[in-house]
Amino acid sequence: MFGIFLLFGVIASSTSALCVYTVDRQLSAEYVANSRAIAQSIANSSMDIILNRDPSTLQSLIDQFKEIQGIKYIYIVDERGDMLAHTFVPGVPKEIMAGGQQLTGRTVERRLPGFGDFVEVSSPILDGVVGAVHVGMDKGLIALKIQTAIGQQVYLISTIFIISVVAAFVLVNLAAYPLGRLCGYAMQLAAPDVPPAMTPDEVQALLERNDEVGQLARLVRHFAMRSAPVEGT
Amino acid sequence: MAAAIAAVAMASGPSAFQVTEGVSDREVVVGMSAPFKGASRSLGIELYRGSMAYLNEVNRTGGIHGRKISVKVYDDGYQPDLAVKNTLKLMLEDKVFLLFDYVGTPTVTRVLPLLKKYDNLHFRLFTAFTGAQPHREPPYDRLAVNLRASYLQETEGLVTNFLGVGRSRIAVLYQADAYGRSGWVGVRAALAARNQKMVGEATYARGTKFTDSLDRQVAILQEVNPDAIVLIGAYEACAAFIRDARKAGLNVPIANVSFVGSESMLQLLRAASAADGKDYSANLVNSQVVPSYESAWIPVVKEYSALMDKYRAAPPPGLWDADYQPLVRSFVSLEGFINAKLLVEVLKRLGAQPSRSRVAAAVASIQNLELGMGRPVSFIADRNQGSDAIYYTTVEDGRFVEIRDWKGWRK
Repeated sequence: MFGIFLLFGVIASSTSALCVYTVDRQLSAEYVANSRAIAQSIANSSMDIILNRDPSTLQSLIDQFKEIQGIKYIYIVDERGDMLAHTFVPGVPKEIMAGGQQLTGRTVERRLPGFGDFVEVSSPILDGVVGAVHVGMDKGLIALKIQTAIGQQVYLISTIFIISVVAAFVLVNLAAYPLGRLCGYAMQLAAPDVPPAMTPDEVQALLERNDEVGQLARLVRHFAMRSAPVEGT
Repeated sequence: MAAAIAAVAMASGPSAFQVTEGVSDREVVVGMSAPFKGASRSLGIELYRGSMAYLNEVNRTGGIHGRKISVKVYDDGYQPDLAVKNTLKLMLEDKVFLLFDYVGTPTVTRVLPLLKKYDNLHFRLFTAFTGAQPHREPPYDRLAVNLRASYLQETEGLVTNFLGVGRSRIAVLYQADAYGRSGWVGVRAALAARNQKMVGEATYARGTKFTDSLDRQVAILQEVNPDAIVLIGAYEACAAFIRDARKAGLNVPIANVSFVGSESMLQLLRAASAADGKDYSANLVNSQVVPSYESAWIPVVKEYSALMDKYRAAPPPGLWDADYQPLVRSFVSLEGFINAKLLVEVLKRLGAQPSRSRVAAAVASIQNLELGMGRPVSFIADRNQGSDAIYYTTVEDGRFVEIRDWKGWRK
């Protein structure tokens, strides 16, 4: 039994590890690609707004993208790195206000205390001469999705394991029961003085079986009948 | 004036008149999308009530050119997506004559492209309750008719006055959307013009309620030790910030712009003051784009007070929560009242056979029009805003009074 549990543990942990690796890699790649596409899209559509319109229109533009799942923040800086529009509440994190804003396309990991961990994708606006768009993707969402995937996998494996154990128990019992009856029948023939454990109907049913147990029962009866006169003389 | 009206009315000749959508023999229908429910409901409800006080009187006395004016109303909850849907409905299904009394920057900025899309239908957005720039600048300026002063002007005035009394460390709390950004831009520009920068900024999410805590925003701004704080928000969130700031010992002057909904904010602060035993209404400055409704000597205020009392216009049936208590007087309803006066004037100038395509000409013909504010309204070329008037108020004895001398706000 311990071996079965050990085997199950090995299967569960190895598939979970594989799942974590696969989901993490694929989701991260997918989110980064989406974020990059969004950042580029905003960069392309915002250059005209930055040059010709006021920042409230810019804000309205980025607010629409904020609703996309996984996108936690968006901010746009001008060519000097000054903030033009952002979606942070209750304020722009100090780490971002500290400056050093990149005006080139890049992907970095950020930890913003009070906000979480993010993968931030940047896209320059007009090659950076107008500014840059930064899109922050929530790494917590990826972790949550991994947890969900692992949870579902462990749940599935556990269910299969429990069903297997129950099925094995039933099957073993199905196989062991007639053998037990056969054994009891043999004992009954060997010790006729002992009160019989089986009723005549049960013995009859055993002898009428078409399987190997029935054949063995009939064989036992045959040998018992052959040996009975010798013992009696 | 009569000549101007005649000129506009006859501009395209009587034979050019065709049946215009939104206009029947007996009625002109205008469409309104605004928040009537949710955290900003007071703005939509009071704007509507103010407009209806005047329109009811006009309708009672025979309407304009024999037509009564009715307002088709939808609730957008101050949500841009709903505002877009409502506008499409008003334009394409209800086929109203024009769009009137919209509320909010994030909503209006999303609606403007619809007006552009259906440019061939000649819809105009009339007197939106927002001071944002998108509908005051190309390419959308020609699609809108604004009466009120802009947020740029309001914030410029607030910053100028604060700097004038030695309060140079100015911080901003703003709603994290297009409206907040408009005000933020105004404060930043006003400070930049004087080689100054805002010392700090914080944001809150649209829809924040008075019961929410704004302690984090207070902490952010308290850290920069401001001399004054300008709020660009709606009444529930602004009242919550003021309450939490005062609780935290941040007692510098706090200013709000006209959109806030001054009386609704004051109501919340009064209730909190009573509960906490602390005066949260002290040291507040609210900029307004209409005169104080307490100034009974101003003709439009007198007219407004009389008609508000006479009609006690109810909020639109089915669109408001039963727990809402309409305000007896408010800056918002006074603005709605004055908006309706301008609408009526434009309908008069359009003559007996109005058409959407002549609305712009009718508006452009308005020069030195006296709506009773004491400051005439004019629409000069390339500028679709009729009034630049800004009034600064503060709370004294539980009501808003005009600030006549800023020396009392010296640091």
